Amino acid sequence: MTILYDEGQQAIATESRRVLEARVSKDALLPLLEATGEYHRPFWDTAKEQGWTALALPESEGGLGLGLVELGLIAHQAGRSISGAPFLTSSFGAAKAIELFGSDVQKARWLPGLASGELIGAIAFSAGPDVLPGRPDVTFASDRLDGTARGVSGGLAADVAIVLANGPDAPVLALVELAGVQRSAVASFDNSRLIADLDLSGAPAETLAVGDAARDAALHILALQAVVTAHEQTGGAEVLMEIARDYALTRRAFGQPIGAFQSVKHRIAELYGLVELARANCVHAAACEGAADFITAAAAARLSATEAYDTAARDCIQIHGGIGVTWEIGLHLHMRRARSLAIEQGSSLFWEDVLVDRLAGEAA
Amino acid sequence: MSDLEAYRAKAAAWLASMAPTFGRDARKGLSEADDLALGRRYQKAKFDAGYAGINWPVEYGGQGLGHLEKVTFDAEEMKHGFPSFYFGISLGMPVPVLMQFGSDKEFVKERVLKALQGEEIWCQLFSEPSGGSDLAGLRTKAEPDGNGWKINGQKVWTSWAHYSDYGVIVVRTDPNVPKHKGLTYFWVDMKAPGVTVRPIKLAGGDSHVNEVFFDDVKITDDHRMSPVGGGFAVAIATLMIERYVATDSAGFGPHLDLFVELAKEVQLNGRPAIEDGRIRQQIARNHAMRSGLDSINVRARLMMQAGMIPGPEGSLNKLVAVRSRQKLSELAIDLQGSDGFLFDEHASQKEDWASSWINAPTGRIAGGSDETLLNTIAEKVLGLPQDHRPDKGIPFNQIPA
Repeated sequence: MTILYDEGQQAIATESRRVLEARVSKDALLPLLEATGEYHRPFWDTAKEQGWTALALPESEGGLGLGLVELGLIAHQAGRSISGAPFLTSSFGAAKAIELFGSDVQKARWLPGLASGELIGAIAFSAGPDVLPGRPDVTFASDRLDGTARGVSGGLAADVAIVLANGPDAPVLALVELAGVQRSAVASFDNSRLIADLDLSGAPAETLAVGDAARDAALHILALQAVVTAHEQTGGAEVLMEIARDYALTRRAFGQPIGAFQSVKHRIAELYGLVELARANCVHAAACEGAADFITAAAAARLSATEAYDTAARDCIQIHGGIGVTWEIGLHLHMRRARSLAIEQGSSLFWEDVLVDRLAGEAA
Repeated sequence: MSDLEAYRAKAAAWLASMAPTFGRDARKGLSEADDLALGRRYQKAKFDAGYAGINWPVEYGGQGLGHLEKVTFDAEEMKHGFPSFYFGISLGMPVPVLMQFGSDKEFVKERVLKALQGEEIWCQLFSEPSGGSDLAGLRTKAEPDGNGWKINGQKVWTSWAHYSDYGVIVVRTDPNVPKHKGLTYFWVDMKAPGVTVRPIKLAGGDSHVNEVFFDDVKITDDHRMSPVGGGFAVAIATLMIERYVATDSAGFGPHLDLFVELAKEVQLNGRPAIEDGRIRQQIARNHAMRSGLDSINVRARLMMQAGMIPGPEGSLNKLVAVRSRQKLSELAIDLQGSDGFLFDEHASQKEDWASSWINAPTGRIAGGSDETLLNTIAEKVLGLPQDHRPDKGIPFNQIPA
């Protein structure tokens, strides 16, 4: 697939940006930080109404039959406006797991709802710092799970989760309905991510993949989500660069705009470089979904996007001086989101190893 | 296969057939004089095979093809280590500017054909001791002299001036107006009386750049390539000619694969360095940066193919790639420990870490320093203000020293 956006793709970018800029504001997002278990419902309603939930799923399952490139464009705009819910990514990841590894019955049961957005999906692979644990905390035996899945983004609202569990002989990728599952909210620095610990003790679960296939499947789902998230991070970094630029043009000190000082303007020019490298890696990764080097491309996108968003959050606040650290100006929304997105889908430490294993020819 | 892919395949095959005669291995151990002679023969071979002046007009001996074919050929050519760099500046800027702005068409055509066949080399006389980034602040002057002009002053960092037959030069013809308005653009005969070329030995040991002195060098007015006082615009046109040249995400240093190979061979604390987190992080970061630049370059090519103008992000390549190469080269030397002392001043910057390292500062300064490139991005792309400029709008001869 080409990395040049066609007219339809450009229209997706323009229209999603228009809608989100009209409907999402920091005034709505700030109070969510101090409320546990709340997310910005107008964002999710918009995602459903606009068909973004169905975008990258196959038409046979109620989707629109587009792919990562298009979903990436939406995620980029969602990142610009600090999207109010994690499900754009996690429902997509869960749906892809079911589409790629599920039975016809499982697909029929879950995909139409995930595509319409009426159902919400979550991904529970990691155990703390271990992104794809060899021996997950959650165990699987006799079609039931046991143990707690920690720190699951979207877990408070999800209807279904894809879990990496420790089976009797080998890891298992399992599907679990969350209707009867106890969840406890994790008080987080970014509360609208709806992060939860899921107490899966005794929950009935179905197998999607076993053994090495389960690990490979989990990595593939993680990489798909990482590419979506990388677009979101790049969008956040891009808007921070613009905010920093605009502020540097208007704020004056020592008789001139602060953007005339090289210590400030070079910092913003460096952000431009980070944003463009991340964008280029994102487009490349999205366009090579299904290709042999997809994992490598996803890792590169993820690494450069995480660096871009973290750095942009740091520098944009620094360039604002005192006003930058106030609650009201809301730059900390980005700073918080930059970090929560840096952890979701595996941190840079994880993706560096994934990448180097492949570059050094040591891939499993 | 697209037309462009067919073109690439044909060029690649021709280049491969030339490699035994002119490539990296054929050049090993040659003196610079012999290497230049080989380079001239290679340039002639390119001309005869239809790979010289690829995107130049047919009437000037070019092939009349597009910029894409040119970039495609260059990217393939880079793989073999041919001695083509002696002609890189000559055919990259001065000669195209001569085609565009030279007044005597017969003379221009003769020069262009000789340059394309490697018989004559042109240099570009822009930078001066008083400043490189501040081009319009130059001090070399040309005064009216009979029907022509008399040039006095000094240029510096002039690549290949010691082999050049001709040069293009920007000089000050009027110090009484603001600095951009008092410049005029000429061509000069580098063998003319009063022109003295003195090579500068660089930190890495080679001497491809020069000081060039002009002492009462007399030229006729038909050497003039701009209106009197209109030289700055032609100078900028010169620098804009090759905005999307074939780029190298390795920053003209070694490929990352070579670093990975080194890390697999070397032991750190009794384990392969490739297992060390510090080394792994640098490999991953460098790969992500280079793959981003590669993707930017591919997109630029696709845009040109589709008749669109590529975005300004292409300007990131040199800034980002060369300084990363500098640090990676330091780390590669660290990895080798006491084996890293070894230095071969004739080694290739693209294959040898010490050579890459010692020449990296040149890369970060030549052709726009990191700081100048950051200013350009900030001002031209992001619309940020210029720095405080006390020389603005003031006649050149009243600028505070």
